[in-house]
Formats: sequence, C-alpha cells, structure tokens
Amino acid sequence: MWFLQRVTAVFLIGVLAFHFFQLHFVEHAADIEFAGTQARMQQPFYFATMVLFLVAATFHGVNGVYNALINQGLDGRARTVVKWVLVLASLGLIVQGIRVAMAMAGVHIG
Amino acid sequence: MSADDETTTDDDTGVPGPHADRLARKEASNEGRGSAASDADRETVRFRIYRYNPDDEDRASPRYDDFHIPFERGMTVLDGLIYARDEFDPSLTFRHSCRQAICGSDALFINGRQRLACKTQVTDLSRPIQVEPLPHLDVKKDLVVEMEHFYEQMHAVEPYFNPDDEPVTATTERRQSPANHEHIKMSTRCIWCASCHSSCNIAAGDDDYLGPAAINMAYRFAMDEREGDRREDERYEIIKSEQGVWRCQTQFSCTEVCPKEIPLTEHIQELKRESVKRNLKFW
Amino acid sequence: MEEAYDRGVIEDFGRWREFSAGMWAWVFHKFTGWVLVGYLFVHIPVLSTALVGAETYTATIQGLESLPIVRVLEVGLLAVAVFHIMNGTRLLFIDLGIGLERQKVSFYASLLITAIIAVASVPTFISGVF
Repeated sequence: MWFLQRVTAVFLIGVLAFHFFQLHFVEHAADIEFAGTQARMQQPFYFATMVLFLVAATFHGVNGVYNALINQGLDGRARTVVKWVLVLASLGLIVQGIRVAMAMAGVHIG
Repeated sequence: MSADDETTTDDDTGVPGPHADRLARKEASNEGRGSAASDADRETVRFRIYRYNPDDEDRASPRYDDFHIPFERGMTVLDGLIYARDEFDPSLTFRHSCRQAICGSDALFINGRQRLACKTQVTDLSRPIQVEPLPHLDVKKDLVVEMEHFYEQMHAVEPYFNPDDEPVTATTERRQSPANHEHIKMSTRCIWCASCHSSCNIAAGDDDYLGPAAINMAYRFAMDEREGDRREDERYEIIKSEQGVWRCQTQFSCTEVCPKEIPLTEHIQELKRESVKRNLKFW
Repeated sequence: MEEAYDRGVIEDFGRWREFSAGMWAWVFHKFTGWVLVGYLFVHIPVLSTALVGAETYTATIQGLESLPIVRVLEVGLLAVAVFHIMNGTRLLFIDLGIGLERQKVSFYASLLITAIIAVASVPTFISGVF
C-alpha cells in the first residue's frame, strides 16, 4: 500500500499538472463546450490517460484519507466499517467517472 | 496554571541541605574570582516548573511553580532543578543520574522542546525557563513520567541478536567490518531517553505504533552484518508489520529533538525502502 | 502514585507556534490532500451532466465559470494542488533517501513556488468575470 501510494503519486504529479495546465491555461475553463471536451476525449490516448487519472487519484486520495484516520487511532469495528465505506465510495466514483468519460467520448454501450 | 498559583520560594534560610558543603565551596570559589556579589544581589534565573502530585490534595491538579535560582556560569537546567530541590523544595521530583547525557533519564520538555536537562545550558534558553514532563506520556509526579509503554515498544523489536546462535568454537570471533560499523554507528548511540517518542505526533495519536526509538533499535540490528539471515527475516516481519515503519509520516520531529543526533527519519526511510524490496521479491 | 495523569493530545494544537518546518509540511500536506479528495468527489458529479446531454454540460460549466466566487476558489484550488505536488515531490525524494538534511529548505521552496504560481495565475483565472 505504501509503495502503491508512491507509485500513484509519481503518476499524479505529472497528470494533475498537465490537467490544470491544459484546462485553465491552454483552454480557458469558461470557454469549455461539450464539443471541445468530446474532441479531446475521442483521442484514445487522452481518454486512457484520463481514466487512469481518475483511478489513480481516487486510490491515492482515499488511501490517504484512510491512513490519516488510522493515525488518529481508528481501529476495531469502526475501522472495518470505515474501510468498506471508503472502498464502496471509491468504486462508485470510478464507475460513475467511467460512464461520464464514455458519454464524453460518444461511446454508448447498451 | 494561572499566575495566582505561582509559589515563589525565595527564602533559603532553612536547614542546610545535603549539598551545603559543595555550595560553600562554590561560593568560596566565586569570591576567589573576585565577584563581590552577595546572595542578595546575585543574578537569578526564573524556572517555571510543572508540579503535580496525585497523593497531595493541594497538588492533585497540575500547576506551575516558580523558582528563582542563582545563576552560575556553565549552569545547566539540571543544575537549576537540583538547586531548587536541595535549597527550596525537597518534594520536587525528577529523574536524573549521570549528568552527562549518557544515562538518558532526564529528558524533559524544556521551553517547548524535548531536551536532556543535563545537556542544556541555561544561557542558551530564553527566560523564564519552563520545565515540563515529556509530552504524550502520562505524568506520575511532577516531572516524572510513566515510561513503561516506551520500554514495551523498545522490547517489542527484540533488541538483541539470536540468543540461540552459539559461536562455532569458544574462540570464534564474530567480526564486523569497519564499513558496517560506520553504517550502524549512529543508531547505536540511543540512550533510551524517549525524547523522540515524546515528540512523535503519530506515536502520540496511536499507542500501537512502534515509534522512532524502537524502529531505530530494530535498524541497529537489521543493518548489522553479524545478524543471521533467519533472524533478520523475523526482524523484518516486525519492521514491516502494520505498526512498523509505514506509520512514519516523515515529520522529522524525532530527528530534530534527538539529543544524540541520531538521524532517525533517515533510518526509518532506509527500512521502508528495504521492506518494499523484500515485499516485491516475495511477489 | 498509581493513577498517572494523562494530559491528552489537545495541548499539541495549542503549541502550534512551536511546530517545526517538517511538522508544518505534514499539516499542510494533509490539509491540501483533504481538499483535493473533496474536490474530486464534487468534480465527477459536475461532469456527470454530460450524461444528460451536451447542452446541459456546456450550460453547467459555463454557468459555474461565470460566477466570480468560482474563479476565486479555482485560484485556491490551484494553490492547494501546486503545494501538494511540490511537497509530494519533496516527500518522494525523502522516501528515496535524497536530501534529508535539506528537508527544511525544500519545504520553504515548496511554499515559495506555490505562492509564485498562485499569484502568477490570478490574471488567467480572473479574466472576463470581473
């Protein structure tokens, strides 16, 4: 877990910086239209990067929160409950994020 | 803890303390140096000392007492405490032994930082000098804290070589290369004073965390080339357990307060990297 | 002397003036981490308007971006993200055992770079709304 947290960190440093730069300095957020988003998301590499970005960020963030709570002395039953709530929330976020990403790219399944 | 609680114990007209002889000699030597100062106009240092005594109704809730200690060149905080106890209040309780930063018994919270009282010069501190027991350890009386949990953590890493591992013959030497000695040298300097443990935010929040001192102790053996492979594996099981190195958040608090200047954070980080390597090999 | 007195950990935060650089780095890193996770969990629902339709998506984003408060918060978000990135890089180097003796300087550098980037980005974020 500790190692995964570092690996995702390395990835996120690059992608988060790129994400901010792309969507606030290259394209201004205020000028965003669905067409532009779709154009970007239809590039396979960009699409893959964004999905990976979502998964890595969710893991890194939720794992960070979980560790912070453990360091506050969370244990026993409460810890098990918190763990599964966080896992479900993460999975929910990732599933929803991928649905959104597919809608943006114009891919429809079912 | 308000100013009202301050007890100024200025009168030293009482019975001569056990160190009367020593003090008389000191005074004589002061005069020898040509200082005409009498006790009345000698420079004093105000010590603000944490007091607590569960057996005394008067002190059952913690407060701070003020002591005005005559200043002397080269005076340490421990000298001040000893003077306060011997001359003003024999009930003032604190641990001390060797007075030379070897025994590790007088680690205290002095002016908001963990320091050894015997190694801390009064002239290096701003005044008044506030002396409190180590934070995050339970106080037993005045400046004395409960160390049992700290010792338990130290013993949890089994700080010894394999006791069953007998030398091949009675004359077999177990040699350590100079390079390996250099590697672990700093980690062997630990005096079990608990300064680092007291400064660690994570150890404070969770008693299960081994803490910097115990991990450094594990490092001292894990990195020693004389440790056998099987023993080393067992030790890494403790080091990379949930309560081991992963809990460290690299705040550097321990490294900053260590009176023996052990690079604790560096040692913990080295063990993290070694543990990751071992885990990856396993997979 | 059986019952030992537990002073608790509350005094820790009362002593914030005595915190060292490494401690502040930890406090800031944790705080910015919470903000970023919180943002992630809001960001995805906002983008979810794309599931409804192209027009809703465009309208939502442009609607939000036309609010001055959103622009100001975005500068804050950028500062938080940059600090988390800079201090995260610092922590990665510390994990690799590089520059441990310069950990204070690298923390101050993280703060300085964050401040410079945040200030420099203000015109970009504010343009067209005030």
